[in-house]
Amino acid sequence: MATISLSKSEKAYIQSSLKASSSLRADGRRPHDYRGIALETGVAPLANGSARLNIGKTNHEQSGGTEVLAATKLEVEDIENGDGVEGGRIVCSVSCSPSAYPHVSYAALDDLQYDYTTLVQDILAHPSLHPPNLSILRGKKSWLLALDLVVLSDSGNIYDALFMAARAALWDTKVPRTRSVEYRANGSRPAGGNDMDVDQEKQSALDTRQVKTATDFELEDYWDEGEPLGGRDKWPVCITLNLFPPLYYLDAALQEEAATPLRLLLMFSFKSQAPASLQGMRLMGTDDIDLSLVSGLIKEGEKHAGELFVAINAKLKEEDIRRTEKARRRFAAVR
Amino acid sequence: MVSVTIRKRPLEDAVITQRKFFKKTARGKVIKVIRERYLRDDVACGIEGCRECALPSGSTLPMNGSLDHASFPNGHFILPDTNVFLGQMDLMESPLLKSPIILLQTVLEEVRHRSLPFYNRLKALVKSDDKRSWVFYNEFRSETAVVREENETPNDRNDRGIRRGTGWYNLHLAATRPFADGSSNTPHPNVVMLTDDVANRQKAQKDNIHSLSVRQYVEGLPNSAQLLDLLSAEGSENIEPTLASGRAALYPDYLPTATLAAGVKAGQLHQGHFNANQYNYLEGSVQVEGFDKPILLVGRENMNRSVNGDIVVVEVFSKDQWKAPAEEVIDQEVATRNDDVEDSDEEGEAREVSTHEQNILQQEETARIQSERQPTGRVVGIIKRNWRAYVCHIDSTSLTSSNATSLAQQTVFATPVSRLLPRIRIRTRQAPTLIGQKILVTIDKWDNTSRYPEGHFVRALGKVESKEAEQESLLLEFDVPYRPFGKAILDCLPTEGDKWIVPPKSDISPEWRDREDLRDLLICSIDPPGCQDIDDALHARPLANGNIEAGVHIADVSHFVHSNNPMDDEAAARGTTVYLVDKRIDMLPSLLGTNLCSLRPHVERLAFSVIWELTPAAEIVNVRFTKSVIASKSAFTYEEAQIRNDDVHQQDELTQSIRLLNTLAKQLRDARMRAGALNLASPEVKIQLDSPESSDPIDVEQKEMRETNSLVEEFMLLANISVAKKIEETYPQTSVLRRHLPPPKTNFEKLQDILRKRRGMTLDVSSSGALAASLDKCNDPNEPAFNTLVRIMATRCMLSAEYFCSGSVSRETFAHYGLASPIYTHFTSPIRRYADVLVHRQLSAAISHMPLHPSLHSKTHVERVLIVVNRRHRMAQMAGRASVEFYVGLALKARAEKAQKAGVGQVTEDAFVIRTFRNGLGVFVSKLGIEGLVMFKRDVQFDAEEYTVTVPASATNAKDVKISVFDQVTVNIEVEKDKNTQRGKVKMTLIHPIDSRAL
Repeated sequence: MATISLSKSEKAYIQSSLKASSSLRADGRRPHDYRGIALETGVAPLANGSARLNIGKTNHEQSGGTEVLAATKLEVEDIENGDGVEGGRIVCSVSCSPSAYPHVSYAALDDLQYDYTTLVQDILAHPSLHPPNLSILRGKKSWLLALDLVVLSDSGNIYDALFMAARAALWDTKVPRTRSVEYRANGSRPAGGNDMDVDQEKQSALDTRQVKTATDFELEDYWDEGEPLGGRDKWPVCITLNLFPPLYYLDAALQEEAATPLRLLLMFSFKSQAPASLQGMRLMGTDDIDLSLVSGLIKEGEKHAGELFVAINAKLKEEDIRRTEKARRRFAAVR
Repeated sequence: MVSVTIRKRPLEDAVITQRKFFKKTARGKVIKVIRERYLRDDVACGIEGCRECALPSGSTLPMNGSLDHASFPNGHFILPDTNVFLGQMDLMESPLLKSPIILLQTVLEEVRHRSLPFYNRLKALVKSDDKRSWVFYNEFRSETAVVREENETPNDRNDRGIRRGTGWYNLHLAATRPFADGSSNTPHPNVVMLTDDVANRQKAQKDNIHSLSVRQYVEGLPNSAQLLDLLSAEGSENIEPTLASGRAALYPDYLPTATLAAGVKAGQLHQGHFNANQYNYLEGSVQVEGFDKPILLVGRENMNRSVNGDIVVVEVFSKDQWKAPAEEVIDQEVATRNDDVEDSDEEGEAREVSTHEQNILQQEETARIQSERQPTGRVVGIIKRNWRAYVCHIDSTSLTSSNATSLAQQTVFATPVSRLLPRIRIRTRQAPTLIGQKILVTIDKWDNTSRYPEGHFVRALGKVESKEAEQESLLLEFDVPYRPFGKAILDCLPTEGDKWIVPPKSDISPEWRDREDLRDLLICSIDPPGCQDIDDALHARPLANGNIEAGVHIADVSHFVHSNNPMDDEAAARGTTVYLVDKRIDMLPSLLGTNLCSLRPHVERLAFSVIWELTPAAEIVNVRFTKSVIASKSAFTYEEAQIRNDDVHQQDELTQSIRLLNTLAKQLRDARMRAGALNLASPEVKIQLDSPESSDPIDVEQKEMRETNSLVEEFMLLANISVAKKIEETYPQTSVLRRHLPPPKTNFEKLQDILRKRRGMTLDVSSSGALAASLDKCNDPNEPAFNTLVRIMATRCMLSAEYFCSGSVSRETFAHYGLASPIYTHFTSPIRRYADVLVHRQLSAAISHMPLHPSLHSKTHVERVLIVVNRRHRMAQMAGRASVEFYVGLALKARAEKAQKAGVGQVTEDAFVIRTFRNGLGVFVSKLGIEGLVMFKRDVQFDAEEYTVTVPASATNAKDVKISVFDQVTVNIEVEKDKNTQRGKVKMTLIHPIDSRAL
């Protein structure tokens, strides 16, 4: 998986300093320290939700680091003709900019993209995370939520970056409010009147009448971005434990990654007032690990993921405020 | 020097500066649209003398606004909100309201979004000269632009924008007054926000913005008395009130288009063409898919402003409210004679009229036969109006008599010639001069507060009953394009003009490429007398092996008319040649139609030949298609050919070939009949003209059918079928074919019922063969015309044949029901039918004579062309029939005059009763081929179950007289003019068995 190649002596040098009792890392971080994370939402105006995430951007030259752009797009799908699925569906795709991986051949880049896509799709499109409001008309129309991630540059720890960016974009996603239009026959009434019935309440699976009659929908408010995607707290974060069993360290830089034989990916979903749930786990690398160590590592991972989750949430909320209240205040000030 | 400052904001502010909205496309996709908004500081306020704004000269608002409002001594401007324009447009449009209007962009856009008609009126208002108004683009001026708050509804946001705009104006006015006398605090005029929204006014008050309700404002104006009349009723939430707002709606509103589409898709609403009932103006029907019978619409309200031909959406009532069609003739002119055109009087009159109509409907209700219920419903929306210009007469009673000679504008009724249309209300200054003329009127709109549609006068066609006016009105009425061919079209003709000849045979001449030389064959044509566009010719000769070679030769029109040139486009648009009694409107320029393509005798002509080898029993051994050059030996009329055929002394080769053709044709016909073909009938009559110039009809006679008519027909059918097979085989997706769908069984129910009850005859409609056989049995030895009558009535029950593209419908539905042929097309009259031209092109490509034009490979293109051709074909038939009817009328008049001279006094004819009504009889005069109505003024007993009308003894002082369907009666026929509209009308009265004039 290493996208750059290191000489044996370089690897040995990095490994020995990481394994040392007071482990030393090239950039001076402690083993469980993250690099700085920069996150911005609403970067793509035409998308329904978007985010740009950077890990490890160096302060002095405003560049470098692992950078991922994520955006979601909602499309209407017809269930009757077989395109759509009842309740909507999520399709993720990850593409890598060739400049992010200058040493990788074109074909290998395809493989890499495919690997990333599969992982993200597996975790995010899991039924346990499925948002409740991707349905438009029962049995007729639903939303397709397409999540596109672009890796702009990779300086290590790409998986954490991908999931964080995905989480931010999904958090930012707003689903346009719709209501169904239907014609309800009103029998004998000779004169016109309230023939057009528009159901105001949210669609309910118990109400079977709607299923039969509503055939089309309209937008409730064409100005409004809509309501947030349901269950947005649940979107998982990923923690990559880079292992020198029994030791591990977080947020590997590119060289460190190349020198690490084994990685454990843990995806946790946090819901308020509920214990974290492990949504996925991947072990990657050439080395092996004693199974007895894994449960301890998961516990450790959960702790770190929790911290990361709190940090991201704080930033996402801050972003919401920046984009609404602050921008409005600034607008008022300019005038 | 004006400096333009445009501030583009950084992406940081995107949320604020960009206007985002979602749009649902027609295909059901939702797309997000983003508009960048650039704010400026130099959007002008539009008030004269402003020190800050750069103003265009003229068209500005006066410096002090209007000074005549009591509350604003320093002058004022009004700034109405959206609902003022939506609700009080009449007031705003009134010339009496002179206050200068400031129109915010926000308001303008909201009006457009809410109602397009109002937006158009508003735009007209802004442009009009007698209004002082200024559009202020508040959304683009940095001070007045507003940003939507979190959770703010668009409505609230707009209201806030309007308030901010008003506030800004007042500040701006205070700051930018020109220094009149040096002091800066001269009193300045106010900008007043007009709104009927109380909450909005309260908010405005908080911000110190002047705001008034419309009523409050108008009350302070000097001419308030007049203006208050224009205020629409308060609390009316109607988004689209009409011109005469305040008047009660007579018709229900239409549902929004989205709901209609949803309803139709869900199968709860049904879409179809609206057909008015020609006997009863209060009834109409819509043929929709999913119901055997058309959906009945009873009463004005349920027809809801549909005009014949509109595509409407109907809601079907629940089954217990289904009704049977009325068995009564209700004439619009009689029933609504007292209806007044003037708007002002309508209230009272209208009530009277509608109660009158209610009564009629109620009476009917009791008379309707309960067993014959059919789906009943009401129109809830219109998908597409099919309004065009209609030929009308002015109703002279609707004129105000006092100004019969003045040129004042007045509102009058125009009565369309077609009985299927409602009266149209028009406003005109030339009403008196238009009386007694045929005029063209278009419908503009039909509001739900107006009983009748409103329209305007287009032009006059000429005096009623003048030939030119009648002819033109006929062509217009049936939408027949009759203008002469343009230069671009004539340029497509061969440059040699009528000097064009088939060049001498040679290998290099393009005309002779792949063409057979059939000049030596004994070919002749058989046509009606006086035929100029001869498009078919025939030959037959015995072969050495005992079989017979027969050939049909069709004018090679596709040699002259190439795909996609102006002539082709025009022909495609015309679709068919239209034959009127005294005029022929050609599809192709006459040089081609009557000369170069016409297979005239003794000249060489290019042809497209179908040549069969037939056994003596007329079975096809093989068939081939070829382009050819022929020289017809003779052009016979049907009569001449018949005489030659029958004259045993004539033994020349040409006559023998006619006989050969005739024997083959008989066998072909027998075979066709065995296969179940129908022998249909239509009331065909021939008008005898005095001379071609005067075109005064002398008399009407029925068309005579000879053996030779059938001879030509059989071979044309054979050719069409053979060609259809060939092109369908070669181009399964795009071949041009013709089909006749089997009629739904329910269409025959009534006829079957009448036949059973009145004559004890049965009609087996299980297949075309069974129908043909049972039609043959419907005979009455005493009345030979009876069989023809039944055939005519059976024909009316059938669907009409149509052209179609083979790829567009399933293969099972290709068959031609009437001809009992599995496949059929039109190949034999390319001079007068456009479909034939397409078929010629396809056949010529199928035999590799010419490559097929790409357009004929496209299914959508072929479909599009055929829709036009089908429509034109239908219209041409109707125009032809109407023309015959007109001449029958003239002939009757001539006959009546003659009869009067001879002292007989009246024209009488035998007729069959074809329909019974509660108050009349429908009769058919077979000799004249016309239908008519006999109306009873007095009550008669009507038995709808038995199709019988009984005239009681009390009315005649004799014994009861029973008249039922299929009875033969004698009627007196006269042509009378409607006194009011000058519309000519055939009036029939019964003479035998009872004189109905007294009834």
